[in-house]
Formats: sequence, C-alpha cells, structure tokens
Amino acid sequence: MRKIMAKEVKRNKIFGAASIALVLASFMLLTGCQKKAIVQPEVSQPSAQQPEAMQQQKGAEKVTEQKVETVKSTDIASPYAEERRGMFADILFDYDQYDVKEAYKPEMRKISEWMAKNSSAVVSIEGHCDERGTNEYNLALGDRRAKSVKDYLLSLGVPSSRIETISYGEEKPACMEQNEECWAKNRRAHFVILMKAGK
Amino acid sequence: MMKTDKGQRTKGKIFVFLFLLFAIHCSLFTVDAEAKIYIDITSPSAKKLPIAIYDLQGSLGKEISEIIREDLIFTGLFMYIDKASYIEGPSQAFNPQNWTPLGIEAVIKGNISVEKDLAVTINLYDTSEVKPILSKQYHTEKDLFRQLAHTIANDIYLALTGMPGIFRTKIAFVAEDEGDKGLYLMDWDGQRVRKLGLKGKLVMTPHWSSDGTKIIYSSERGRQWGIFLLEFLTMKEKRIFVSKGINMAGDFFPQGDKVAFSSSKEGTPDIYILSLRDSALKKLTSTYGIEVSPAVSPDGNSIAFVSDRGGSPQIYIMRSDGSDVRRVTFEGSYNTSPSWSPKGDRIVFSCRRGKNQICMVKPDGSELLQLTEQGNNEDPSFSPDGRYIAFSSDREKIKGIYIMRVNGEAQKRVSPKGLNAAGPGWSPN
Repeated sequence: MRKIMAKEVKRNKIFGAASIALVLASFMLLTGCQKKAIVQPEVSQPSAQQPEAMQQQKGAEKVTEQKVETVKSTDIASPYAEERRGMFADILFDYDQYDVKEAYKPEMRKISEWMAKNSSAVVSIEGHCDERGTNEYNLALGDRRAKSVKDYLLSLGVPSSRIETISYGEEKPACMEQNEECWAKNRRAHFVILMKAGK
Repeated sequence: MMKTDKGQRTKGKIFVFLFLLFAIHCSLFTVDAEAKIYIDITSPSAKKLPIAIYDLQGSLGKEISEIIREDLIFTGLFMYIDKASYIEGPSQAFNPQNWTPLGIEAVIKGNISVEKDLAVTINLYDTSEVKPILSKQYHTEKDLFRQLAHTIANDIYLALTGMPGIFRTKIAFVAEDEGDKGLYLMDWDGQRVRKLGLKGKLVMTPHWSSDGTKIIYSSERGRQWGIFLLEFLTMKEKRIFVSKGINMAGDFFPQGDKVAFSSSKEGTPDIYILSLRDSALKKLTSTYGIEVSPAVSPDGNSIAFVSDRGGSPQIYIMRSDGSDVRRVTFEGSYNTSPSWSPKGDRIVFSCRRGKNQICMVKPDGSELLQLTEQGNNEDPSFSPDGRYIAFSSDREKIKGIYIMRVNGEAQKRVSPKGLNAAGPGWSPN
C-alpha cells in the first residue's frame, strides 16, 4: 500500500507543489504510522530486542555470576558486664496498647526505690509484644511500651541517664503457646538490671 | 504568485523525497512494533501458550530442562505439554507438521556438550515456521548450571512475551543462624540457599537498592538497634545509623543516595531520611504515636508508611518531603508492612483478617484485594517485573518464605523446609 502510493506520487510529479503538500499533509495527519497503532501497543518497548537481534549475536554468551563471599558482622559489644533478670515483675499491656495500667504502679515504685539505693545500677526496660502483629510494627510497639514505662519511672525520680530501653518486638516471647493466656504474658515490659564492668 | 515550472518541479521533488523519508520512517518503526508477541502478558485473559520442552541432549540436560520448565510454568503463561506426546525425536530436524496437530505453539530443543565447561545450544521454534525464532549458544562453568538454565529461561521468556524474565533474581531474607538471626540469600526459586554471615541477636527485613548492589537492614547488636548497609561488590558491612531506641530500615531512594527509615531517637518512632553522601538527617513525621516501615515509591516522589495516628495501624502515603499525608487503608484495624509494585501502581501490605494476610491496593485506596488465606502472612515484596510477590508465612507451622503470582495463584514455599525464615526482599535484578 505504501509503495503504491509512493509510486503514484512519483508519477504525478508534475502536479503542483501545493497539491502534493496537501496529499502529504493529509496522509501524515490521517494515517500517521498507521501500522504501528494496530500492533499491540503494550509490548512496544523491550520488543526491540527480538529474536532476529539475538540470532545475529556472534559467538556464545558466557553465563557468569558475581561470587558472594561470606563475611563477618561488625561486632558491637554491650558496655555492660552483668545482667540481672527476674528482680522485678513484668508490666503487662493490653492488646495493641502501650499505656501503663494503674495496677502496675506499685511494682514501678519498688523499682524506683531500689534504683535510689543502688546508685551505680542501670535499669534496661525491654519492650515485648505478642506474636499476632507484624514484625516491624511490633518492634515499634515494643519500643513505645518500654518508653511508657520509662516515662513513669522518670516521674518517680529515676534519672534518665540510668534508664535504657530496647524493643524486641515479638522476637523473644516468654511463653510459647498460641493462646490468649500466653499472648497476655508476652505483651510485657521486662526489667533487666545492668552493671558496668568493674562496679 | 507566478512560479516557474522548474521551481514547481524542484519543490515537487523535495516533497517526494520527504514523503519517502516519512514512509521509510514508518516502515522502520513498524518493524519494531510488528515483532511477533506470542503472549500478551498484560492481558488478563491471555490463553496459556502450549509449549514443548525437550530434555536437552547431553549430560545435565535433564536437570537444565527441568529448571527451564519450572521457571516457565510458574509464570502461569505457559501450558507445558508432556514429553510423552512428542512425535518428533529429539535429534530429528524440527518440522512444524509434527506439532501443529497437537496444538503446540512453541518448541524448545537443544543440546549440551560437556568438556571442561558446559556449552549449550538452544533453539526455540514457533510451530508456524521452520526456522527457529531464537537460536543461541551459551557456555559456562559446570557449577553454574542453574544460573545457565535460568539465563536460557529468561531469553525464551523475552522472545515469547517481549518482557525480561526474573529467573536470575534472588531473594534476601532473615533466618536462624546458630542461635542468632542472620541474613541469607537464595535464588528466587529457593535453590542455592547461602548464609551471608551477617548476624545479630535480631535482624529485620533486608531492602535492596534499585541497582541491586546493596541492601540495608536493621539489626540489634550489643543492646542497640542499628541500621546497616551491605555492599555486595566489596562484601563490606557498614553501620549507617545508630541511636537510642529503635532504628528500623527502611528503604532506598531510587538513586541509592538516600534511605528512609524509622527511628525513635526523639521518643516515638518517626520517619526520617538519611543522606548516604553527607549523613544529613531529615525528619518527616512528628506525632505522638508510631510511624514505621517507610517504603519509597519507585519514582522516589512518595513514601508509604504505617501510622497509628488514627487509633490503629494503617497505611498512609506522603510526599518525600513529608507533606500531603493521606490515609490509604480504611478496611480492617491492622494494616502494616507496605511495599510498592515496580510500576508504583499498587501497594502490597499485611492486612489483619482474623490472621495476617497479604493484601494489595491502589495508592489511591481503591481496588483492595486479599491475596492469601492460610496462616499468618507478612512482609510482602514484589518481584522486579511486578508479576510475583514474596512473603513470609507460618501456614506450615514454622515460618518460611513463600512466593505467589500477583493474583494470589500458585502460592508455594521456596525456603528450605524446617528453616525458620522471614522478611524476604526480592532483588531488583
């Protein structure tokens, strides 16, 4: 079709420039690269590298892979030489909540009194969650739980420099079964007393 | 207005010339666009292409062909026709008449010679013509035969669909490693599982840079949550951020020069952007609640994240400068872990429907779909072609890495049975 039209145009060279221009312009406007529009438009980009191109490739493709060596983690040691667990009871939280319930406030007063007497100790508050949430959100929720407890200890006069918080999300459950009783035990703030080396 | 005959003729010639140029231009373009596409993968109703895949002739032929078959079948675009029905002998010349009566539309034949290395010849035929539409040689070391098979599958997939395949991509994930958590890498099909050696008491989901040369992840070491970056080219790990509280990666921006992450360094978890060039830090959110899991859109202009500012964890989107925050998810009371499709037209996330499931939604909040039903499913991550999703699931009791098609079909575990694994990140290449 395109060829025929080209021939016709050639034969009719004697026509006025204006008429050719008109034919051309209308041809371009109306038809454009018509064929292209008919062919499936979605697959236009990468189809440039089609089989023909591959066939023309000289020689064989060498299949390679970058070697992945095993490496060692950057070691980061804890500055604390000693950890004491179990001196204080866990503070438990409601599902997806991070406010400290009234019932736990006596336990918190016990901690603040102990901290006042043991001036070199640091208390680390570990925030934990039950397994029902998703990893990253649980890590944030555990962080909020630890911070809520920290805020209450601050209000009782424990200096900020002697309180640390860390979240373990759902990764370190205290109770392994999948039931409400167990989940309730896992939604907790857990206290660890830390002693620096040499103290 | 008077013009000479000669002048008109010259003009005429110019127009003819222009016309021919135009015609050539058109024909050049149409050659490209006319290249035959056997499967239009963008069409949801596309019929599966019936394909015959011979065992390659030679040692390792069976193994290599099986990998090619599994790759192509998992796409859901091909109907594999079993060897038993092939009339043509594997070493006989290809003859379309042996195939068209069976309704087979594409045939893969090839052979292998094994000396020191593997040398493979592959021919892909369209059964409507005698000549192969793809004829290619490969060579490689023997222990790279899986990579070789995946490379062949990629070439066949490209020839038949016009789109690059994902068969050489990898999945990074977190699994138990001698009592700690460690980073692992495996092929997308779950083979060649290897430990990277990078460990911590805890390690969270790794996220790839868009060029596939780096991952970032967060890890708890020495009672501190830090954000770490691993360069695959040098295999060097660097801690890029640490502070009190939690620090959680996060996602690369498309150019790889910045990362978004969540930190509670100022009290509550908020979203920050860290420049990897000058370590400049920019805070994007400040609420009393939790803001976590930032996912940068493929164009780098938006960040999807999780916030509990409305009373329950939901997916929100903001611009990368922190402006224009809007909520995306409204259904259900627990929507977390957003991740973008490579085109940026979908967000996949974990949705609570009794248990945690994988859901997908358009960034404007429309067309919400639930893709999984069994067990708890978390941490979805798109394949680079946007056709598959990797996620973690506890449906077989112990957590493992699963993959599925983007419509929820063909769900299967790919990580080794019995390995407690989570947090998959699908490599971009």
